[in-house]
Amino acid sequence: MREYKIVVLGSGGVGKSALTVQFVQGIFVEKYDPTIEDSYRKQVEVDGQQCMLEILDTAGTEQFTAMRDLYMKNGQGFVLVYSITAQSTFNDLQDLREQILRVKDTNDVPMVLVGNKCDLDAERVVGKQQGANLANHFNCVFMETSAKAKISVNEVFYDLVRQINKKSPKEVNKPRSRKHICRLL
Amino acid sequence: MLVRGCAGGELRHSLSEKTKALAAKCHALRSPAREQRGTERRRTRQRKSQTRWYVKQPTWRLWGEERVDGAIYTVYLKKVRYHRPTRCASSESDDEISHLEWETVRVRFVKAGTVDRLVEALATDDGELESTYVNVFLATYRSFAECSKVLDLLLGRYETLAADDVLSTGTENSQQHRKTLVACLHVWLDTYPEDFRQPPHHPALQQLLTFTQIHLPGSELHSKVLQKLAIFSAERNGSVGGSGVSLAPGMRLPAHHTISYRLPHVPHRHFAEQLTRMDMELFKKLVPHQCLGAIWSRRDKDRSHDAATVLATVNQFNAVSFRVISTVLVEPILKPLERADILAAWLDIARELRVLKNFSSLKAIISGLQSNPVYRLRKTWALLNKEKAELFEELARIFSEDNNRWAQRELLMREGTAKFADTVGENDRQLQKLLHERGSPGVSHGTIPYLGTFLTDLTMIDTAIPDTVADGLINFDKRRKEFEVLAQIKLLQGAANAYHLPTDPMFDRWFDSVIILDDREAYQLSCQIEPQTNAPKERRPKKNENNNGHRKNDSIASTSSSNSSQFYCETDGVGTWKRDSLERRSSPTRLSHGSSSSSIPSLDVSLSSANSGPKQLNGKVANSPAHPTRNGPDFYIIRVTYESDCVETEGVVLYKSIMLSNNERTPQVIRNSMLKLNLDGDPDGYTLAQVLPEREMVLPANANVYYAVNTAYNLNFILRPRRPETDVVVNGKTKNKRA
Repeated sequence: MREYKIVVLGSGGVGKSALTVQFVQGIFVEKYDPTIEDSYRKQVEVDGQQCMLEILDTAGTEQFTAMRDLYMKNGQGFVLVYSITAQSTFNDLQDLREQILRVKDTNDVPMVLVGNKCDLDAERVVGKQQGANLANHFNCVFMETSAKAKISVNEVFYDLVRQINKKSPKEVNKPRSRKHICRLL
Repeated sequence: MLVRGCAGGELRHSLSEKTKALAAKCHALRSPAREQRGTERRRTRQRKSQTRWYVKQPTWRLWGEERVDGAIYTVYLKKVRYHRPTRCASSESDDEISHLEWETVRVRFVKAGTVDRLVEALATDDGELESTYVNVFLATYRSFAECSKVLDLLLGRYETLAADDVLSTGTENSQQHRKTLVACLHVWLDTYPEDFRQPPHHPALQQLLTFTQIHLPGSELHSKVLQKLAIFSAERNGSVGGSGVSLAPGMRLPAHHTISYRLPHVPHRHFAEQLTRMDMELFKKLVPHQCLGAIWSRRDKDRSHDAATVLATVNQFNAVSFRVISTVLVEPILKPLERADILAAWLDIARELRVLKNFSSLKAIISGLQSNPVYRLRKTWALLNKEKAELFEELARIFSEDNNRWAQRELLMREGTAKFADTVGENDRQLQKLLHERGSPGVSHGTIPYLGTFLTDLTMIDTAIPDTVADGLINFDKRRKEFEVLAQIKLLQGAANAYHLPTDPMFDRWFDSVIILDDREAYQLSCQIEPQTNAPKERRPKKNENNNGHRKNDSIASTSSSNSSQFYCETDGVGTWKRDSLERRSSPTRLSHGSSSSSIPSLDVSLSSANSGPKQLNGKVANSPAHPTRNGPDFYIIRVTYESDCVETEGVVLYKSIMLSNNERTPQVIRNSMLKLNLDGDPDGYTLAQVLPEREMVLPANANVYYAVNTAYNLNFILRPRRPETDVVVNGKTKNKRA
């Protein structure tokens, strides 16, 4: 099974962690444990293909700036998240994207721009068109999501998988370590 | 509440298991939560579906839930021995006594409740102290109640019980119950004195004082409250300011000592110890509950101080990474081999940090080395000898993100409270060698964890588990989960006391003197050192490619660096998103700029740079690719010393490095220097001169410094207050008397 490393980036408070938790666990699990090995792993089927997604969420460590390069180096696809209720979080993405392109040394990086918290339309300060414009400029896909209301969360990750497939369709499955295979079976 | 009975064979087995667990708990662990966590972890690996440890323990059985007004309890049935031996005396011999009778006790854990109910639960039904619960409660209550509210409830409960006693309507438990409440207050005061600080009047402490005067005059609690009050007011009146380190004469080291503060020829062990000392001070000051998701991840402008101790740790981490990046890149003219030596020096320091179990600075160094501007220097890395390259791989493996950072978690688990480092992977040849060489050190070390993992875990818990359950009751199970992480932090903080490291003020000065590059500056320098080899791909969208009426965005991209930097300044309340504490300290004016409209890129660089700090340098550095002048560097790094009459700095050469870009004029360079050197006042009151072998060249008042400097020599400068009428400027190349 092909593995996909997906990195979720964005300022603090945009709801990155909620997106991740919603996608991986479905929110409101009684016995949630973020410390076990597969807390952020999920197997999904995209276009008839089984995929193993490993989500790297930077939540809580946004301010450890020096570590971002490594996240970026290891990630194959990126979710750039802002909150539609905070203009600053939208503005911050410009720099993050620059950094990703610099680290990847290419202009073609699988990426989805996400305006989160679209359930809070009353508090909206970043217009949908603004998001679409930025995505257009980034040359990437744009979605508005709500982790809370479960709107378009899975679509974000599915789209990234498709983008990664498109970019490198023939990537050979790296044999996973025996340990993992055991656990998965 | 007691249910007698149960079958024998099963009991015998569970008895020995339980006893062993208890014994282990008694002699090795202070924190029950850690035991819990440890067990849980082990279990996790054994079976996939995992729940709380006591559910899996044969002697514990989940019975169900119980709802009362304002609270929900989880009820377990627990088998215990009918005649309990004294608690810590449990030893192997207990295994043999298996013929004892058993009873089954019903144990309730608060799952959720109102604040009132949660406060009541500090004591059990029998009025006994529920110590684990008290710990969890005090560590986490801030996320659902104010300090004053909890204190009101606690004292109110005591008073109710006391009143019942007077009317002799109280139960036999009520005396015990009140004792327990007092014990809680003791724990609270001892463990979280900061809750009671509330300057200037310490209302909670005053309230507690009144309470003890009425109900417990002359008690231990009473005197503790008085003592705390005295401490707080002394601190308020006493020496609050003045923590700035001045150069005491004893701190001046002979000049040759300063040599050892220049990479790569530094004493590795000493550097590692000093970094650890810095980390340790911050880590011990860390207030664990500031790491809670509800506080740390929801930090914003108004509440940034709520997480100040966490922020300090993060800043230090970044500061270390920045120093790695900077020392590797800052001198563009080094030979590749010399630069490789600097990498090697950092790896040697990192290796010592591994021995010291300082995972914070260790990760900071690895992150610095893995940062793009450093990591991409292929030629430099290729010159590292094989052993160093292996060492790097092995150290980096510790912090692999794979499997939810399993390697790192496991290592922390094993060594967190161990006396010294002794865990290596089977493939870690260099580390095996290292630990073999060192043997077991005579002294034991503490542990400093990389805090980020805890912060992520707590953020995730906060996100995934709701604050309240049905009927709006506070979800206390969430707090238990959070406490598992907090307890681990606390345990490590305790272990950090094992460090005994000397303080070297010269190291701190070195640390503070290192220039900080932001990621664009670093990348720019990196590309100067090793230009991109493959034909540079077109990274930015071509100018008019997507031109469909959104030119605004395009223009943001082409000048994005200056723009988005301003975004940071404008919008990031904490202001540390991308710079460390040092830089912030030295440029308090930074945050005030950036008021210009973000959609209008300030192309007039010289104008914009006139009203901001070094940050604006970004603009220039990043704008420069627009001019296809690839001939020389677009900026220099210059060193500026401040010369004053102050005797105190005599004998110590203190310089700051600043970036000088190709369109900066004298006033701007002076202003930048003043910021770095922490000088206030009018830039016109200072002169700047380049130090040449035989003379100084004072820069004319409005020269383009970049072109004016003499690059045949070192770029060392002196900034000094302008003396009235003594500086004669002639033609831009003034000779000045040598100072």
